[in-house]
Amino acid sequence: MAITRQEIEHIAVLARLDSTGGIFDRLAEDMQGIVGMVDKLQELQLDDLNDVIDTERKNAFHEDEPVQHFTPDRLIAPNAPTFEAGGVSVPRVVE
Amino acid sequence: MELMKKTAAELSAMLERKEVSAVELAKAAFARTAEVDGKVGAYLTVAEDPALAAAEAVDRRRAAGETLPPLAGVPVAVKDNICTEGTLTTCASKMLYNFVPPYNATVIEKLTENGAVVTGKVNMDEFAMGSSCENSAMKVTHNPHGLDRVPGGSSGGSAAVVAAGEVPLSLGSDTGGSIRQPASFCGVVGLKPTYGAVSRYGLIAFASSLDQIGPFARTVEDAAMLMDAIVGHDPLHDSTSAKAPFEGSLRANLNADMKGVRIGLPKEYFGAGISDEVRASVLAAADTYKALGAEVFEISLPLVEYALPIYYILSSAEASSNLARFDGVKYGYRAEGCEELLDIYVKSRSQGFGQEVQRRIMLGTYVLSSGYYDAYYKKARAAQRKIRAEFAAAFETCDVILTPVAPTTAYEIGSRTTNPLEMYAGDICTVSINIAGLPAMVQPCGFDGNRLPIGMQLIGPRFGEQKLMNAGLAYEQASGLKNIIAAL
Repeated sequence: MAITRQEIEHIAVLARLDSTGGIFDRLAEDMQGIVGMVDKLQELQLDDLNDVIDTERKNAFHEDEPVQHFTPDRLIAPNAPTFEAGGVSVPRVVE
Repeated sequence: MELMKKTAAELSAMLERKEVSAVELAKAAFARTAEVDGKVGAYLTVAEDPALAAAEAVDRRRAAGETLPPLAGVPVAVKDNICTEGTLTTCASKMLYNFVPPYNATVIEKLTENGAVVTGKVNMDEFAMGSSCENSAMKVTHNPHGLDRVPGGSSGGSAAVVAAGEVPLSLGSDTGGSIRQPASFCGVVGLKPTYGAVSRYGLIAFASSLDQIGPFARTVEDAAMLMDAIVGHDPLHDSTSAKAPFEGSLRANLNADMKGVRIGLPKEYFGAGISDEVRASVLAAADTYKALGAEVFEISLPLVEYALPIYYILSSAEASSNLARFDGVKYGYRAEGCEELLDIYVKSRSQGFGQEVQRRIMLGTYVLSSGYYDAYYKKARAAQRKIRAEFAAAFETCDVILTPVAPTTAYEIGSRTTNPLEMYAGDICTVSINIAGLPAMVQPCGFDGNRLPIGMQLIGPRFGEQKLMNAGLAYEQASGLKNIIAAL
């Protein structure tokens, strides 16, 4: 399955990456080659494409006990680019 | 330097006998780093103050008469994608250039409990995506055995720092070969544990169903010693960690008797694309095993033909999801001059991630997108089941499998950076092991014509680490290829 430039630009929108500029031209070109490489998988014949779950494995559960490991001041403030009133500040989203 | 030529086991014994203090040892490690790391470039952050404080604490405990674990006072370097409270953890990315974790990874907590002295954080391919360490946004790391060569990747810094004699031990992570290939290129021992053997809590995720943290060392015994310290169940933090991976200590149970051990050589791993020198060296190791009394025979693992597409689909799909959290909002790099929230996301990600990371996010987004999910992701998951079944069948006839690690020895810095497909092809011998969730260990088995190390890979069944280490020890003893420190 060849991938078109238009599809690559759409994927960039989904991936929250910039699809403009010269750097993206290189990325788009590389994508064509990489998709060609993974297309090799289409040659593999499989009897059951729905056989994707490891039934021999079991979920691991533990008690859901609330624990206060961190406060926002300790967890978020030291690393947030902007931190005000106990939260991260960003440009206005709702008018 | 004399101290730093010793193995971790030797240093541990010296510490116990009080022939050296943990502070003296830490200072010797930092002196060696000051001497050679300008050439090698393994470290991103040298954590001298916290390391010396940890070493002093070990010395105080020993002076008070406490019996300490074997690792107490032994220096260990850590890959920069493993969270260390209070110490920069960058993933070698502009995106996390200033990130200081508020907590420790479980493996760091375990190292601390064992009294190990964490010396600092070492270089890697950005977000562990790459096979040469050249995708680091921070610096170039050089192979200590040939400074114009790559150290391998993604855990290139972890391999180089041990090969250069800066520390006897380090931690790396392996998603598709990121411990094993750099171990091979740098002539050291590297173990990718069984999926679930070591907690991933605090390992910054690349592909969560494939990632594992593992040890680097210069001898099999040392790798077992570090593995003993980091292995174990982590029920609160990692639901994929196994309850009881092994019985007892890997180090204490080492046994080099190879009589009757069945070793499979999968013919597909020795075919076209593998350099003559690598093939000959690994086959010579197989002959050594025969001489030691092992049964060595050919097997077939034909699905390796599809391993690269399966790996790049699954790992990139998971990466695209895991790396969605890096959006410039909560931590790390935020682009300047953004007036809308979406602008923060797009510009921060495009400016903060390097080219290789963006390629993987794009591929992952594509294979998960509407209309392509069944053909790529779902089919790769079904094929993953077949690869697991193929290995399981192989382990009905053999105890361990012996293969090359990489098609070639370490290549020149810059020689493969323009073609990502050429770089990906170098992962052909390692990715299947992650797809199947198996353990595999790499150790040196020779040198090429340029005196660059050649490695061999021993693959075991799930939680078969003891078998790998026993076979590794037997080869190490027979060949004498151990504790190799590069001349710098």
